[in-house]
Amino acid sequence: MPIHKRTFSDWTLDIFVYGFMIALGLVTLLPMVHVFSKSVSSDWALVSGRVNLLPVGFQIDTLVNVVTSGAFSRAFLISAIVTTVGTLLSILVTAITAYPLSKRHLPGISFLMVLFVFTMLFNGGLIPNYLLIRELHLINSLWSLILPAMISVFNMLVIKSYYEGLPEALEESARIDGARSYTILFRIILPLSMPVLATIALFYAVGFWNDYFSPMLYISDPALKTLQLHLRDVVMENDTANAINRSADDLMNMSPESIRAATVVASTVPILLVYPFLQKYFIKGVLIGSVKG
Amino acid sequence: MMKKMKWVALPAAVSLMLLSACGSNGENKNSGAEKTAGENSATAKSTQSAQATKESAKPELKALMRLGPNFEKDPIAAMLQEKTGYKVNYEALPVDKPEDKLNLLIASSEPYDIVSTGGDSSSKAIYADYAKKGALVDLTPLIEQYGQNIKASLSAETLEMAKVDGKIYAIPTRSIESVGTSLMIRKDWLDKVGMQVPTTLDELTAVLKAFKEKDPGGNGAKNIPMAIKGDVPMVDNIVGAFGIVNDWNDVNGQLVPRAMNPAFKEYLAFMSDLYKQGLLDQEFAINKDATVKEKFTNGKVGVIVLHWADIPQIDDALKKNFPDAEYVYVPALAGKDGQAGLAQSSGFDRITFVPKSSKHPEDAIKWIDAKLNPDTFKNMAIGLEGTHHTFKDGNYYPILPIFNDERGSASNYLTGIDEKNYPIYWQARVRKDERLYKGWEALNKQQKPEVFKKNPLGLAPYLPKYSKEDAQLGQMVNDYAVKVIVGGEQLTGFDAFTEKYKQAGGQTSFDEINAWYATVHK
Amino acid sequence: MSELITPLNEKAEGVKASRKREGRRRLIWRNIDTYLLLTPGLLLLLLFKYVPVYGVVIAFQEYNIFDGISGSEWVGLAQFRKLTHSAEFMQVFANTLLISVYKIVLLFPIPIVIALLLNEIRFTAFKRTVQTIIYMPHFLSWVIISGLFMTILSPSDGLVNSVIQWFGGEPVKFFMDNSVFRSVVVFTAGWKEIGWNAIIFIAALAGIEQEQYEAASIDGASRLRQMWHISLPGILPTIILMLILRLGIVLDAGTEQILTMYNPTVYESGDVIGTFVYRTGLGKMDYSFSTAVGLFNSVVGFILVVSGNWFSRKVLKRGIW
Repeated sequence: MPIHKRTFSDWTLDIFVYGFMIALGLVTLLPMVHVFSKSVSSDWALVSGRVNLLPVGFQIDTLVNVVTSGAFSRAFLISAIVTTVGTLLSILVTAITAYPLSKRHLPGISFLMVLFVFTMLFNGGLIPNYLLIRELHLINSLWSLILPAMISVFNMLVIKSYYEGLPEALEESARIDGARSYTILFRIILPLSMPVLATIALFYAVGFWNDYFSPMLYISDPALKTLQLHLRDVVMENDTANAINRSADDLMNMSPESIRAATVVASTVPILLVYPFLQKYFIKGVLIGSVKG
Repeated sequence: MMKKMKWVALPAAVSLMLLSACGSNGENKNSGAEKTAGENSATAKSTQSAQATKESAKPELKALMRLGPNFEKDPIAAMLQEKTGYKVNYEALPVDKPEDKLNLLIASSEPYDIVSTGGDSSSKAIYADYAKKGALVDLTPLIEQYGQNIKASLSAETLEMAKVDGKIYAIPTRSIESVGTSLMIRKDWLDKVGMQVPTTLDELTAVLKAFKEKDPGGNGAKNIPMAIKGDVPMVDNIVGAFGIVNDWNDVNGQLVPRAMNPAFKEYLAFMSDLYKQGLLDQEFAINKDATVKEKFTNGKVGVIVLHWADIPQIDDALKKNFPDAEYVYVPALAGKDGQAGLAQSSGFDRITFVPKSSKHPEDAIKWIDAKLNPDTFKNMAIGLEGTHHTFKDGNYYPILPIFNDERGSASNYLTGIDEKNYPIYWQARVRKDERLYKGWEALNKQQKPEVFKKNPLGLAPYLPKYSKEDAQLGQMVNDYAVKVIVGGEQLTGFDAFTEKYKQAGGQTSFDEINAWYATVHK
Repeated sequence: MSELITPLNEKAEGVKASRKREGRRRLIWRNIDTYLLLTPGLLLLLLFKYVPVYGVVIAFQEYNIFDGISGSEWVGLAQFRKLTHSAEFMQVFANTLLISVYKIVLLFPIPIVIALLLNEIRFTAFKRTVQTIIYMPHFLSWVIISGLFMTILSPSDGLVNSVIQWFGGEPVKFFMDNSVFRSVVVFTAGWKEIGWNAIIFIAALAGIEQEQYEAASIDGASRLRQMWHISLPGILPTIILMLILRLGIVLDAGTEQILTMYNPTVYESGDVIGTFVYRTGLGKMDYSFSTAVGLFNSVVGFILVVSGNWFSRKVLKRGIW
């Protein structure tokens, strides 16, 4: 990019932008720090709500115990598998599906679009979905968590909208050379779409990682419990809100606050790390330039 | 080019993998189904022959339990397998909204042999519904045939209550009758203001006033005489002084819900007065359980409602912050006619049934029966004498930490209890922490027996209308109480509220409950 | 803004007109390879979204899970009447719309602004750090976030009220005051989601051709002008898409959020359809009623999406389909 003399308006813009971002960052960061501090604070400090920004009665044992416990590490592994396989397959299918749908001029595409959008709003609800998964013999199979979620219409629309913004000339010339659709898609369109594919990868990964509902319904085998099931059980078991139905035995067995805080953090941090990793694909212009060049 | 090709090849390979995985999965399931079908007829045959020889190969059982963090490595599971001879695969329902999943599993005939649910009124409703729809195995003949220990351990009364249309479809686990919560007061605050532990409502009000005016905690503006949770505006112990200990209480031989009881209006008047005088936490409506504990352990509150099971946690934090702090349970407070009451749990803690889809119903009952063998049951509940517990003067004392490690989650395995002995065994559990025992003792041993008020509906049979509306009506009453106490709604509208409550299902519940109540209290 | 997208559209229109002459069938045949690419997506859609959709009929039944759909009693629109005829419905419906509209009007533009501003940051490490930080709250559950804000906004010892009192104001009971509760709901929703929602616009900005900026730069356009004339029009399609899709969930004003935040003192301003249905359905396992409410929301959402799309095509010359 050619360097120009910075104008006054550029300077004010910079000051405003950096100031705004620092303020916004702090407003969101401080509460996060609070949550992390809780996971390494002592139980008594949590019970009496003494943890503000820094840990009180610092201890790392609970966090270590939570992470190394058999139940956690197994659930972690299951979630990692589902998230990885699910995300890869989903991006592939979604990116392929979005391509024909971005060709507005083709007959029938509008109709198909309505068909897709319709499912964003209407769904059959819990029972028919369960019965379907059961008919497909997918109960207690990790595919039950992946297959139904593989095509998210929202994500498809985002990709489609991105395809539509790509310069048409690139594609035209390839067509004249006699390239077929899939070649154009895989060799020209997809490499140009890295920013949006990275975004959608993030959305899918977060979706698979945070999914509680499907595993709750479709997975009963304790060996296949996902991290979100595990997390919810740990957190809810300690939730005295429904203590009315609990016997004194159950109440005495509740695990301490610190375990709850540590489990929350231990299951959130891994997915937080996905975004920074994907950010390199957000660098603008690089790819378009390289393909054109 | 090669690079690009790899990207094309990968998805292709993955999708192939996917297809083959699906295929093999399906095949497995099919062959599995065939196998189990074969097994079924085999077991049927073997059961016949077993009855002749009195000896059979024991099948693996599939159990769906209510709670259970980790059945796989639990020493109790291993012990039970050894003693009963049955290998059991345990699964647990999700803790969050277990009914959603349970309904699906039962309605789609998943082949569980044993299913345990909670024992509250909505679980009872679900159980009765299943029984009526023919989804459960009638256990009456099986108990007769295989249930010697079951019959010896469970009282006839318990089995009677489990009946739906005259047949027993479940083995209920009776809850231990005990008082759980009451008001907890800072004893050192009382000493500072020179007052005694209150024994009447008026004394309580006086103490709260003193807490407000003299600020024994030195909190200044942040001083709170009493704090309660926002979702529980019915304060245990105080409700007793108004004769409305439970949701439904006996008034002249009829069971009357709080919303239809004039005493509730007086209670609300009392509470809103406390609020107006600043004796009740001004923010109580948004208090969660944790907020109340926070305020108490930070020395800002003089009185809170507390379950004795929470005492160790509270004690740790409070003592860390205020080494000199002392606390004590307030005894059952006397109201204007001297009436007082503490709510005592009663009824079922959990219900265990055998779905129709079970492949081994006889074995399920045999397993439950074997667990109730006196030695096995005792071992499951409190372990072995000398290893897990000691026995002294008629009481059981836990040996720590092995008791916690190996028998800590025993309650998750209960499918019916030895009703005579379990309440005694169970005290070993309370004795694992001296502070727990003291709290439990204060509420259950040091009170006059007449203040214990059992929930009259705990042992009621299945009442469909009441069960259906109970949760929703309870929420409505709580919401109204909170609004009145903070002054958002005036008590002059109480009659209108009662009317609304009746319309929303209160009246039909009332009629249904009292039709039953009349038959037991003639 | 729209001047910049019309040329593109005219081009598309032109292509369309020329292709029309070939006839539909020929056009389909010529592009059969393109259509074939739809196969996996369409199969998944039909199997996992359309096969179960028959389940909506239980909204017109008194459904019992053991009797199934064929065995359950038909009740027509009774379930819908149960919702719309309840005494609280008008209030609850109004609250839902108000909170939703506030959320759209106040919160929808913020992620766009954030994305545009982040786009102006040349210092990559700073940019990435900020992006990562502001998206984090999305991963905390509402239970945790509500707890957090209840502490921060507590009238007795919360940070915000300490500041208010320091300036001589009266402490505000944020969670117990009907006049501010909705603002709390909207603000906290914004805090949780703006960073996350900005991601999509950040990605869209990354897709804008760099040459456009370079050309504008050479012409001496200030960065503010570039932002206005290149960045914003460049992500306009994404903005329209997001806005139309947002309309589809207008009757979900944040049930999960409000359930963790409200209490009886603020029902008047904070009770929405989702929370109301949750409370009245407690312990009932009423599949039919909850499906009916869901269907009601879906129909309203669908109508809004379709009209939003129609409006956008009329005025802005582009829509989702």
